[in-house]
Amino acid sequence: MITKEQVASFIEKIPPEPKVLNATFALLKSGELVKAAKVAENDLALKTYLKNIVNKPIYGFKNEVSDISQIFGILGVSLSQQNVYNYMISLLSPKKWTLFKLNAHLFYELQANLSKKWQIILENLEIQDKELYTAISLLPASIIVTEALFSQNIEDVNLLRSTKALDYNTILVRLCGIDLFDICEEIARKWEMDESIYKIVQAASGVKPSTDKKINMLGKWMHLLLFYELSKAPYIKAGLNDFVDFQVGYISDIYDEFASLMEIK
Amino acid sequence: MRAVVKDGIATFSPQGFLDGNNANAYLSIEDVEAAKNLKTDMILVSLKKVVFFNRNGLDIFIKLFSKIRKKNIATVGFCDYDQNKYDAIMRFYKGDINFSLFKTLGIAYLFSSSYKNLNKSVLIYSEDGSQRSAIAIELHDNGHSPSIAKSLEEYNERKNSFDYEIDLTFLGQMGQKIATRVSGNAIIYTVSSFLDIEISDNFNIEYHNNSLNVGFRLFIFDAYKVISMNVHALNFFSRLSTSAAEYNATICFVGMKFDKTQISFKENMEDAGILFYNHMDDILQNKKLLKELGASSAANIKNKRTLNKESVIELPKFINAAAVTIEMMTNSKAVKESAAVQSLTIDKKEGKIASSIGYYGDLDGMVVLVFPSAIAKKACELLIGEDTNDIELILDTLAELVNIVGGKIKTLLADENISVNITLPRTYQDIESLLEVVQTRKGVQVELSFNGDKFLFFLTR
Repeated sequence: MITKEQVASFIEKIPPEPKVLNATFALLKSGELVKAAKVAENDLALKTYLKNIVNKPIYGFKNEVSDISQIFGILGVSLSQQNVYNYMISLLSPKKWTLFKLNAHLFYELQANLSKKWQIILENLEIQDKELYTAISLLPASIIVTEALFSQNIEDVNLLRSTKALDYNTILVRLCGIDLFDICEEIARKWEMDESIYKIVQAASGVKPSTDKKINMLGKWMHLLLFYELSKAPYIKAGLNDFVDFQVGYISDIYDEFASLMEIK
Repeated sequence: MRAVVKDGIATFSPQGFLDGNNANAYLSIEDVEAAKNLKTDMILVSLKKVVFFNRNGLDIFIKLFSKIRKKNIATVGFCDYDQNKYDAIMRFYKGDINFSLFKTLGIAYLFSSSYKNLNKSVLIYSEDGSQRSAIAIELHDNGHSPSIAKSLEEYNERKNSFDYEIDLTFLGQMGQKIATRVSGNAIIYTVSSFLDIEISDNFNIEYHNNSLNVGFRLFIFDAYKVISMNVHALNFFSRLSTSAAEYNATICFVGMKFDKTQISFKENMEDAGILFYNHMDDILQNKKLLKELGASSAANIKNKRTLNKESVIELPKFINAAAVTIEMMTNSKAVKESAAVQSLTIDKKEGKIASSIGYYGDLDGMVVLVFPSAIAKKACELLIGEDTNDIELILDTLAELVNIVGGKIKTLLADENISVNITLPRTYQDIESLLEVVQTRKGVQVELSFNGDKFLFFLTR
């Protein structure tokens, strides 16, 4: 169905980090928001993406924000970085989704929701580290990887999943010995993302707890956040609710705090 | 979301949060239609991976349950929950529960008439005395040995010495399907109360026909609890006996009393070939009688059916379905090595296991796959996911694999506008038991291999 060679080929085809983004990141990291905005202006697709994201209701701006320097100014360093990463990940998404009933709008919506709520979680946990704000950006890459690897085998996968409740991650591990989150790590490495980013995302798989207490705790929050979002009607309809296994036991010790933070009644 | 079907139970497994805003999304119109058409004993929603639910969320599934029960008579409900979730459901629906609750899916299987592991010892506890009795009766009818704990203390003292312990379980409206169990080579159906026209809806005729096709020759109706029957039921049993005769199969009734049923019905049934016995042990403990009735061997088929032209024309599709499935499961190329029309011939019988699945509709027949045990394990690696020598698990998984082959056959034939349904898969722990079923039948035998590992495909009727 899916071979190790196909996975290797997918990883090999991940494009290098675009130069404009590389420069934008370097400036954002050094706190040069205005200069970063000027560089980012050169990438029209990035500009459109950021404008689209920050004007979503979840960001709660009353008036439309359209200028990149204005966007970076409002978001601040860590959230600007987070959104530029979101854009980078979106570059990997297919033009037409076939395995999942998604489209660009719905995918960007998921990115925006995850990012905003991740910010709320980190603020609640009183975490200041800027790199950790960007960790959430890598998570939706797991969805893109699943789409890329399994979309050629939809019929077989459906037949298999009607007989045994196997999630895509488990199928991939059993067939190729590598999981979706390992591939996300490969993407992060190729794009020289901070090590903590992919370590949190690996822990957020729910099946590979980290030995680092902080990373593991953030992995739990991210795992629960993912399923909080994937329990929303549009994503259930898109077929995302069970694309990876939800590990209820893994998140049990943080659930009450999460429920209170997200005002779940 | 589609349900996963195994051993007669279809299970939906939502993950995360379940409330009134999202529960509808789990079930598209197609999903609901598919669930309504499933020929299963039970349709359940697993709450194992649900971290939060409220009444509005559950209500949506309960509406689905009601639609399903109108269409077929399956048992419906929830499974896989802990004490907190159980208490919450009881609180939401206090005094108005018409669905069932099974603490685990494993417990639910005990109540499924398609579950093949029988004679399990089961300890039961429920605060509600009538529930304790209802659970015990259902389990007994399904071929298990229930034991009731009258108090929680007694339950805690006695548990751990049973195959299963059942608590936090509630039987709502159960499916009306007739409980079925297998004893040796005999199939035992449990019927009770008043037998009328509904018997034809409640009796799983596909399971029965599949059993005939795979070689069962003795069918016993456990009728101790039957009060009476009417002419519709009489006609049903007479027809069943006549069709069984085609396979040289025997139908018996055990424990049936005729004080409230016309005695002429008994004569009519005897004329149709049905035999009557007072006690189950009169048959099951009498080896000579069992042999006479055909339950000591499944091979004495008078009317052998041969592979017909229609099946032979579609043969490449059947082989393709098996090959493609093995390729999908092993990521290797399945190669056809030889093919011949013959009776099933297996040179070395030791260390081999097999699985079969029947299909019926525009075409009918049976596909058999025979593997060396180690190769079966390799072929099932994707489904098993761990290194195991547990033969029950391997056989169980082989059944899943052959079920996927059956699904593939159905799809490939549907492309040619040929409509077939597939039966439940059957597994054989040794080749002798397979040969009892198929050795007198001619079919197409194909040697296949993947990664140099050989296995055998056999198509017959």
